[in-house]
Amino acid sequence: MPTPQDRNDESDLIARLRAGDTDAYQNAVRRFTPTMLAAARFYVGVDKAEDVVQESWIKAIRAIQTFEGRASLKTWLSRIVVNQAKNVLRQSGREVPLESPEALDPALASRFGPNRRWIQPPTLTSHETAEQWLERGALGDCLDKHLAALPEQQRSALMLFEVHQHKSDDVCNILEVSASNLRVLIHRARQRMFLMVEHFQETGEC
Amino acid sequence: MLMCQDVATLASDYIDDELGPVKRLAIGAHLLMCRHCRSLIGNLRTTREIISQRSYDHLDGDYARRLDAAIGEALRHPDNGRTGPPKDPEAR
Repeated sequence: MPTPQDRNDESDLIARLRAGDTDAYQNAVRRFTPTMLAAARFYVGVDKAEDVVQESWIKAIRAIQTFEGRASLKTWLSRIVVNQAKNVLRQSGREVPLESPEALDPALASRFGPNRRWIQPPTLTSHETAEQWLERGALGDCLDKHLAALPEQQRSALMLFEVHQHKSDDVCNILEVSASNLRVLIHRARQRMFLMVEHFQETGEC
Repeated sequence: MLMCQDVATLASDYIDDELGPVKRLAIGAHLLMCRHCRSLIGNLRTTREIISQRSYDHLDGDYARRLDAAIGEALRHPDNGRTGPPKDPEAR
């Protein structure tokens, strides 16, 4: 939940952006661009995301004059990005079909028998902390590598929800996905990460 | 009756507290009896914790400077590319 201080900071930032203050833009670029890139990648992938976000910032310069503050600045900017990304797709005659995967990753689903009990249970114990995981040096790098290699829509959903701390409703609004679809994308992404860590623990290989 | 595969399917909803009370209780009861599912849930929680802690929101310096330059140019020449009155960029 934003605090009154956060809201004051945001109101101050919006006022400075409206006045065309370049320092305020530099501040906002560093604060909001990672979230905007995650939203862009959902639709146009990593190759075009940077151009889409740059064009969105230019649009935001004009639109900030009429920004009504119904959403947070971060959500508003991310919505501009998604509309810009969809425009780019339309202009190139492409559409990105929304992934609607099964809730279980096939690699995990295959580990259950017909009675829906484990036939190949997890080999990891359940009591290790994040710090204990990351003490195994290369595991952090391996996580980064696999996160980068996730399907774009799973990655974007996970980044907006987990890293950029948007609420579920916000992520659905930004990406134009249903709540149930968002849940599946996040769950699939986490399963890939789980399977990767398990493989790393068993083999020492990423 | 809730089986292990059902727990695996609902695991993220469980750790994010997105389930209704009936399913939540059913998973809780299953976890008391099943160490394999406890392991899956525990490790998904740890995965969530690590991802939220790591610095994935770092912005590449060259790209940030490119944005600064493009925004600076647009602020100096606000009429470039303007073909009509400002409109809401959220509009399709």
